[in-house]
Amino acid sequence: MVSALSRKLGRDLVRLWSQAAAIALVLACGVAILLMSLGMFQALETTREAYYDRQRFADVFARATRAPRALMPEIAALPGVVAAEARVAGLVTLDLAGRSRPGMGQVLSLPAAGGPPRLNVPILAAGRLPDPEARDEVLVNAAFAKANGLRPGDRLIANLNGRKRDLAITGTALSPEFVYTLGPGALMPDNAGYGILWLPDRAAAAAFDLQGAFNDVSLALAGGADANAVIDALDRLLAPYGGTGAHGRDQQLSDAFVTAEIQQLKAMAWILPPVFFGISAFLVHMVLGRIVALERPVIGLLKALGYSNLAVAGHYLMLAALTAAAGILLGWGVGTWLSRALAELYAQFFDFPYLVWRAQPGPYAVAGLLGLAAASGGALQAAIAAGRLPPAEAMRPPAPPRYGRTLSDRLLAGAGLGQPAMMVWRGILRWPLRSGLTLLGLALAVAVMVAANFLDDALDKLIDIAFTQAARQDAALILAQEAPAIAVEEVRALPGVLMAEGQTSQPAILRHGPRERRIGIEARPPGADLARTVDAEGRPVALPPRGLLLSSRLADRLEAGPGDVIEAEFLTGRREIHRLPVAGIVEQYFGLGAYMQADALAALRREAPRIGAVNVALDPAAEAEFDAALKDIPALAGTVMLTQVRRSFEDTIAQNVVIMNTIYITVAVLITFGVTYNGARIQLSERARDLASLRILGFTRGEVSGILVGESLVLAVAAQPVGWAIGASIAGALAHGSQSDLYAVPVVLKPATFAAASLLVLAAAAGSALVVRRRLDRLDLVSVLKTRE
Amino acid sequence: MAETIYRTRGLSRVYATGAAAVRALDAVDLDVPAGEFVVLLGPSGSGKSTLLNILGGLDRATGGEAWFRDRSLTEMDEADLTRYRRDHVGFVFQFYNLVASLTARENVQLVTDIAADPMSPDEALGLVGLGPRVNHFPAELSGGEQQRVAIARAIAKRPEVLLCDEPTGALDSQTGVQVLDALAEVNARFATTCLVITHNAAIREMAHRVIRFQDGRVAEVEVNTTRRAASEIAW
Repeated sequence: MVSALSRKLGRDLVRLWSQAAAIALVLACGVAILLMSLGMFQALETTREAYYDRQRFADVFARATRAPRALMPEIAALPGVVAAEARVAGLVTLDLAGRSRPGMGQVLSLPAAGGPPRLNVPILAAGRLPDPEARDEVLVNAAFAKANGLRPGDRLIANLNGRKRDLAITGTALSPEFVYTLGPGALMPDNAGYGILWLPDRAAAAAFDLQGAFNDVSLALAGGADANAVIDALDRLLAPYGGTGAHGRDQQLSDAFVTAEIQQLKAMAWILPPVFFGISAFLVHMVLGRIVALERPVIGLLKALGYSNLAVAGHYLMLAALTAAAGILLGWGVGTWLSRALAELYAQFFDFPYLVWRAQPGPYAVAGLLGLAAASGGALQAAIAAGRLPPAEAMRPPAPPRYGRTLSDRLLAGAGLGQPAMMVWRGILRWPLRSGLTLLGLALAVAVMVAANFLDDALDKLIDIAFTQAARQDAALILAQEAPAIAVEEVRALPGVLMAEGQTSQPAILRHGPRERRIGIEARPPGADLARTVDAEGRPVALPPRGLLLSSRLADRLEAGPGDVIEAEFLTGRREIHRLPVAGIVEQYFGLGAYMQADALAALRREAPRIGAVNVALDPAAEAEFDAALKDIPALAGTVMLTQVRRSFEDTIAQNVVIMNTIYITVAVLITFGVTYNGARIQLSERARDLASLRILGFTRGEVSGILVGESLVLAVAAQPVGWAIGASIAGALAHGSQSDLYAVPVVLKPATFAAASLLVLAAAAGSALVVRRRLDRLDLVSVLKTRE
Repeated sequence: MAETIYRTRGLSRVYATGAAAVRALDAVDLDVPAGEFVVLLGPSGSGKSTLLNILGGLDRATGGEAWFRDRSLTEMDEADLTRYRRDHVGFVFQFYNLVASLTARENVQLVTDIAADPMSPDEALGLVGLGPRVNHFPAELSGGEQQRVAIARAIAKRPEVLLCDEPTGALDSQTGVQVLDALAEVNARFATTCLVITHNAAIREMAHRVIRFQDGRVAEVEVNTTRRAASEIAW
């Protein structure tokens, strides 16, 4: 049988449902976001670990121009290396049926002996591996096959080092090297336009003239091996053969993106949920404090009947716990749904063979326990007060609150405010902690909105700087091999090309003191107009005749500023080390960039200027002719259509921003409602007698509700600047938490962002206060006055 | 001679409110025989409620001693007092103190849930004549009915003492009589000692014993040789 006390609990909850619901909703937000980010973080990390482990993802990677196979035993014998595998790798242009635009392919060779590679083992999704003897068989990555509707047995045409080859697809596969498959120059995976092609060793070697040689090597290390030592040793071995610098997993593009995503989820888990939990705790504290005050006689009664202090405290604690339970259940539900949605989003970008988000008990338990802890934490003081209240004292009505004349009263009196304004003001000052916490709660609602809108503005700026100001070309043609600068003229002659500018990217290690980064130094002709370097405001920065321009994040990483001298070890050509002054800092949100003038670079390296890529501006009317012409250029490794990159980036961002904003606006409204509604309800309950007396004295409804709503609104207005400040720091924390070597989000805070946040929160506050006002309007004056306090 | 159920010696209670200390109870010596119907009379602030609270284990004395049978109430700790209230004492308050969200039966059940050997809630409500209204909420009951629910709740645990603080204070005369009748019935039937605080001097005629309070002290103890039934009293 249900005990009478439990029945009371149940009925109290029903009676308080709107206040409990407001709290539960805020708590649910925290639980859902924590569950989602924690669950997804865990899922991504464990999946990645298992995938890498099973498919023997390499630890160290290196490229060279042409190294003899005979070098392999020496590489394999390096201390700490347990497996080494050489490959032939290269970019090819693809002619895909039904696509006017040429695609790009990354060729990787399969072992000459047949069978799967020893490292970076692809998982067959369909079909079989190519026959090692076949010259026209290819295995492609599953995402590329799916995007192009290709199946085993279908064919595709590849421009293999100048020769067009018709290849038969034997199978499709997934690889740990390409969880995030980003083509050269792309910002988002484009599975239709960029594919991975595994060719038999003989076919690949023949295509790239690398018989008996390799240009790509992967190493697996023993646990505990010193990766840096191996990287250095490998660099020394490959240096004579055009090695461009070995690196670990941290600089493997796909893994770096997965890592960045994991890091972002972690940042989200630790920045946002505490805000919600804090507000929930505060709301519980406020509401339960009032309930305990109202139920003093009941508390006295329960004690008189022989209920222990613990039982009484437990009773009120349970009220909070049940509210929390509702919030937790809701949060689990929403969190599960969000996780599924996010898993689907990841499925679009990440190619894991088995990334399924499974409901793991861990994150549910953590989110649930933290939610419960927040509610209990908020309830504790009131519950303990109820438990400690001596029964005889509980039976007596509480002493009226002691209002004292303070300095502020004299100031207000001097200001000639009326009595209602005085009541509002004293109400705020009488409970400074409660007023302060209410203000803080509303400020957090503003902050959440500011932090959400900041992203919108930040991405606008990012797109503006990255595309409108810096990378303005319509397309970039990537040459199969570096060519003399004069090759630009051939591109300029292609149909539809309005402008063409060459550029080259030279791999180098930049050092400043103990800090170093392996990057590509981009060199462009002076006055290049298609690809420009710009400052943080988007103003073009001319390439200096001497020295380097560093992107701000690279400058940060190297702790270098203008005037400092950087040591640059070039990994190509004569592999010389040069000391270069930092001539300026530029803004670059994607990757870490370093830039110099093409002539200056050539002079430094004592070479004629060479180019590896050509940026072009196109005549939109002649794009089809341009596309057709590209398919027949043998020296071309690939084409990056920046117009398309831009569009897909904007689309993806726009979609994400809409989702994020909807979530954040909901959250901000919920917080505001939770804080204002509960605050006004509590005031109504505390002041019902005062307000009813005023009505009887002849005050109008409007004047009386002005007192009630006034306090909420005064606090809401005061909360705005605080909210702006907190919002700005949350925005900073989110931007900082999500930046990596791959990309960064600028912190852009516009007055409109603050204004929109304030408008929304003030409107929500006014709306919640008006809901309570309707209660006040219905107040039965006589019965309120008759009730014994 | 009946057993003494309550005994106090030099019992004092001082409230420290701000600068001035208020002596609510000032060295009270008292003996209450078991099974009696005792009326406590006196003006407001004369110490009646304070005494009742201390005897009921709701409040603590600041001086002197009080015993329930042979157990010292003044030496009990918090948990002992809770236990004592749970096992031995029934309370009836002026404003009934019913839990508004519980029905009559559930209000009684609050006690029967935790008592050692309670009667059933329905039986207790039947004793005060509320059998047909067990499923009503307090707001659906008249003042007199609410007070009878409170009495049912107090007697459901079969307490040895019933402590009533102005049980008829909020009631009209006719309903007040019904409530007093119920109390007298409990006293007669179960030999439950009843201590009843009242402002209403008329009620003293029902009592075995009348204790008058003045300024925190016992001014006079009067033993009635003849008692009147509640129904014979009017005010």
